[in-house]
Amino acid sequence: MSRPLFPAQEIGSLARPRWQLLGQRGAALDDAARRELRRWNDRLDFLPKTDERLQQFLSSGAGAFPAETVREWGSLFGLRYLEGVGLDRVYDGEARRVEMYEAAVRHMRGFTFEGHVRSFDQKYYRKAAASGPVGLEAPYHLEEFRYAKEHARRELKLPVTGPYTIADWSFNEYYLGRRPGWKHRAARREAQREFVEAVAREAIRPTLQALVAAGCRVIQVDEPAAGTHPDEAELVAAGFNAATEGIDAEFSIHICFSDYRSLFPALLEAKRCRQWALEFANRDTDHHDAYAELAMLREYGDEREVGLGVLDVHRDAVERPEQVRDRILRASRALGDPGRIWVNPDCGLRTRSLEVAWAKLESLVSGARLARESLAGSAG
Amino acid sequence: MIPLATSLTGPFPRPETVVAATRDLDRGRARPEEVEAAYRAAERELVGLERELGLLPRTGGYLRWPDLFRPFASGWRGLEVGPLTRWFETNTFYRQPILRHPPERTPGALSAWLPAATTSLPASEAKVILPGPYTFAELLDNQSGETSLSLIHRLGRLLSEEIRELRSLGYGQFQFQEPLLVLRPPEGPAAESVRAAYRALADALGPSESALWTFFGDAAPTFPLLASLPVSYVGIDLAETDPDALSAPQGLPGLGLGCIDPRTTLVEEPAELARIVARTVERLHPRRITLGPGAALDLLPWPAAVRKLRMLPKARAEIVSTGAAG
Repeated sequence: MSRPLFPAQEIGSLARPRWQLLGQRGAALDDAARRELRRWNDRLDFLPKTDERLQQFLSSGAGAFPAETVREWGSLFGLRYLEGVGLDRVYDGEARRVEMYEAAVRHMRGFTFEGHVRSFDQKYYRKAAASGPVGLEAPYHLEEFRYAKEHARRELKLPVTGPYTIADWSFNEYYLGRRPGWKHRAARREAQREFVEAVAREAIRPTLQALVAAGCRVIQVDEPAAGTHPDEAELVAAGFNAATEGIDAEFSIHICFSDYRSLFPALLEAKRCRQWALEFANRDTDHHDAYAELAMLREYGDEREVGLGVLDVHRDAVERPEQVRDRILRASRALGDPGRIWVNPDCGLRTRSLEVAWAKLESLVSGARLARESLAGSAG
Repeated sequence: MIPLATSLTGPFPRPETVVAATRDLDRGRARPEEVEAAYRAAERELVGLERELGLLPRTGGYLRWPDLFRPFASGWRGLEVGPLTRWFETNTFYRQPILRHPPERTPGALSAWLPAATTSLPASEAKVILPGPYTFAELLDNQSGETSLSLIHRLGRLLSEEIRELRSLGYGQFQFQEPLLVLRPPEGPAAESVRAAYRALADALGPSESALWTFFGDAAPTFPLLASLPVSYVGIDLAETDPDALSAPQGLPGLGLGCIDPRTTLVEEPAELARIVARTVERLHPRRITLGPGAALDLLPWPAAVRKLRMLPKARAEIVSTGAAG
């Protein structure tokens, strides 16, 4: 497939539109939701205005419209949104997933949800404990992938939460509790290895196999927890290898808000990973060139692609295209090979409004173009 | 018998009601008054639980603090709320404070975040939990040009001014969170700066009770330094520290044993804890023992935190029955 230099890709979830949130729980749309749906449909044209179902949805009362149709429209909206803003690789904004951890664990056996834990500020996730051996009820993300495949106009990249993150974000009670001396560090470490490998082999690998059988070619394994315990980087790689063993697809690993120096070189052992998709913009300041960290990959002689985080997903301030361009050019110098760089937000844009996320992604696309022009100019 | 106390040592998790209210506020589905009501109800319930379990001093849970540094990053001049940064080896993040100019405190700003302002607890019953000067200085992004050594001392002096103000409001119990003292132990001049900062704090503390609480790391290598600092007791995280490996000079002040591990929902065994306490008392002769969570329980969901906290009175009863403390 021919691509421009610095192709642009999605990295994860988008905020769910109000009309989807209301519609999928069977509530009637309020004025704000109707306005929002009309405004985005005017821009993206994702639902034919003459579609009777659209008119019915806009005017229906509580419980009068099928929730599954609303979820499908949410997926369609996510696809057209990311295509419309100009990304080369897209997905559906994870429109049908409750959240990246829970959406996966719900389909696994051996887990019990304990309640919400705060991640930061007023953001939380529902955390489960492994209370029995890990298994799989049924492969997941298949339905959403099939729908996306049927409707996408650009290349798809499907995000899947990785085994290390699933294990790290859970309480490891089954594999830990059956060991004598479970309070000791050595017991915790061995129990964690057992847990990660069980999640990888028993739950994620069969899911990946089913997705590939359904036609999925490009898969991003999300491991935001990878940097949590720097001395477990080798376990992140082991989990990835176990999950992807024998599977023919183009894999990337997404990691964010971590000290990458602590992960490499151990992570280089992730054999089938073709791209490192990493957050940088959050930590790039006037006083700190975050992109200089990429020189590390050159030092290790690693020649894989880099998915470059150029948008801070936790702030509303919209990056200027020139700022994005400069970030890309700095990264190109540090990596020593612009041809291996994809550009993306640091992480999912779910915590930003759709308007802010759109403006940021526009800057990303424009910044990539400016970077191409800049390199073409300097080459000439 | 040496005195034995039990107390929370950091923020408690937010209950589902507060989770829902704060989420709804972010999504424009709740009003600030509804969030405030959810906080009030949760704080009332938690203070009730602290009373029921005999915990003292009490905390009210510090449910409103986004992270350990936010009241300072948003309240002190010279500091800004910075990027999202991982809180040690957890899936929790804090906003790293950015120091652009020498910091200056804003009188009155901190007290609005503290238990007497947000809960029904009187200041005299409440514990003030603050960042320790070493951890604070090392975790902020120092762009002020001031050296790290000087900054540790300066933050000690500024926290001292806060303590003087808080004592005038009736607070008399303070705890300093110092995970970095065990994770990145200071050496040489840095250790001297830490001592100077804690001397400044001791001057301001006067007769107040003070704790230095360490967590997430093995306290044994740094314990001689920790035990020499002028605080009422030093807390260690038993998930990371083997108390049998501690060596301390004669005259060890109090010892805090962080016996609840917030990284697992498995509940600790009171009898095992009683054995640890008996052995530690016999070997180190602390003047007092305080039991509490090793690190903040906000790594757990509320129901699991309550379940684990309920172990403390049982552990206390076991310890009393051994005669080691009471």
